[in-house]
Amino acid sequence: MLSVANVTMRFGTPADGVTAVDDVSFDIRPGEFVSIIGPSGCGKSTLFNIVAGLQPATSGQVSVEGAAVRGPHPAVGTVFQEESCFPWRSVIDNVAFPLELAGMPRGERHDQARHFIELVGLRGFERRLPSELSGGMRQRVCIARTLAAKPRLLLMDEPFAALDEQTRLLLGDKVLQIQQTLRQTTLLITHSITEAVQLSDRVLVMTYRPGRLKRFVTIDLPRPRTAEVVTSPEFGAAVASLWADLREEASRGMAEAGG
Amino acid sequence: MAAILLLGGWQAMALSGLLFRDVVPPLGALAAGLWNVIADPTFWANALITGGELLAAVLIGGMLGVATGLALGASHVLSAAFERWFTWLGPTPKIILFPVLILFCGVGPASKVAMGAVSCFFPLVLSTAAAVRGVDPVLLRVARSFRARPWQTVLKVYLPATVAPLLNGVRLGFGVALIGVLLAETKLSNQGVGFAVMQAYARFDMPRMYGLLIVVVGFAAAVNVALGHAARRAVGATSKKET
Repeated sequence: MLSVANVTMRFGTPADGVTAVDDVSFDIRPGEFVSIIGPSGCGKSTLFNIVAGLQPATSGQVSVEGAAVRGPHPAVGTVFQEESCFPWRSVIDNVAFPLELAGMPRGERHDQARHFIELVGLRGFERRLPSELSGGMRQRVCIARTLAAKPRLLLMDEPFAALDEQTRLLLGDKVLQIQQTLRQTTLLITHSITEAVQLSDRVLVMTYRPGRLKRFVTIDLPRPRTAEVVTSPEFGAAVASLWADLREEASRGMAEAGG
Repeated sequence: MAAILLLGGWQAMALSGLLFRDVVPPLGALAAGLWNVIADPTFWANALITGGELLAAVLIGGMLGVATGLALGASHVLSAAFERWFTWLGPTPKIILFPVLILFCGVGPASKVAMGAVSCFFPLVLSTAAAVRGVDPVLLRVARSFRARPWQTVLKVYLPATVAPLLNGVRLGFGVALIGVLLAETKLSNQGVGFAVMQAYARFDMPRMYGLLIVVVGFAAAVNVALGHAARRAVGATSKKET
């Protein structure tokens, strides 16, 4: 489905530059939910931009369904970290945006948009403007908008980063439900261990600068999962194991930032 | 309050006899002059001509200005290469171009339209370029990730995201276009409101001249208020968070 092969990204001149992503390779199988987790500054978002086709890598190759990624790929849908609803469009017109770009007639695209609005639990809010919704609801609008384009690979870059803890958990639950309904192949970038464990089949741990892959962890929690999964002992064990890995990287990051 | 003071001061000045009586006519004569203007069909014929010239000027200059501003705002290369020229040329008085425009467009309405369009063009280029740079970059990344074509990005992201500053730009552009058109009419013309003002002045018909000026000022103020209103409403509709 997605194949990332020896991707490296350097910024600045060869003599005096920063290697943000260093020789990263991994694959994602159809239907799989994979998270990439790492401390701030590990190059997660750079990797995300490369996979999304928004930024070319210095070297290495990304391919989706066997085709090399050179610019945004039609099979890939992207949800950004920042607030990204169009503030002048109602919920339904935000969600229908990709369909509108494709030239779909208004009635048809609204019908399809309604389906995805319902999927993210925003039924009844179709005519509202983003400014009338909470942050969590706005992020759900963005997720619905990306899903409306029917991507075969969904990319999410810390979509819950700007939200409070309760909203994050509930939204995570929503994403689980959506994942289970659509069997959506997903790559999630996050810095939250619980989020990664709760949602993923596999978790990739990245190192702090240069961003390399440190470990691939398979999460063996049964599906379907709900928000309650966070209370199970297996969940605790997986989180502890990931935290051990991540603590090392995060403290290296802090030491470097402090010194 | 300010209006009462202004009118009172004017009337006092008119009655004091300190100034030439015809230069500052009393309010009664002024009102009669205004009425004569409004009741005069030739005024409306002139107003129609000037209005048409103004509309064409704002449409032509405005569209070219917005298009140029979009290009400058969206492209670092173009902006680095050309924007300073617009910044430098922007404040120069465009009336110095009038002889050239007459050569190109003749002495008829076309040269007035050109004059207004040139005036309106520059402020719109600069305000559009600034507005485009203010567009939230994540919205452009969204459009890119959905593989929007360049024209779709312009129509569905840049324009709606910049309506409010654009309307303010149009307001500025409208003001200078009006100046351009009227100035051109006063210089060389045989029709239009600017010509009518000069005619009244030449005949020393001060009440009529003031009447014409009042109508022009009132019209400009009304358009300004309407555009300002529209811009404020657009800000409400496009702002991200509830206030």
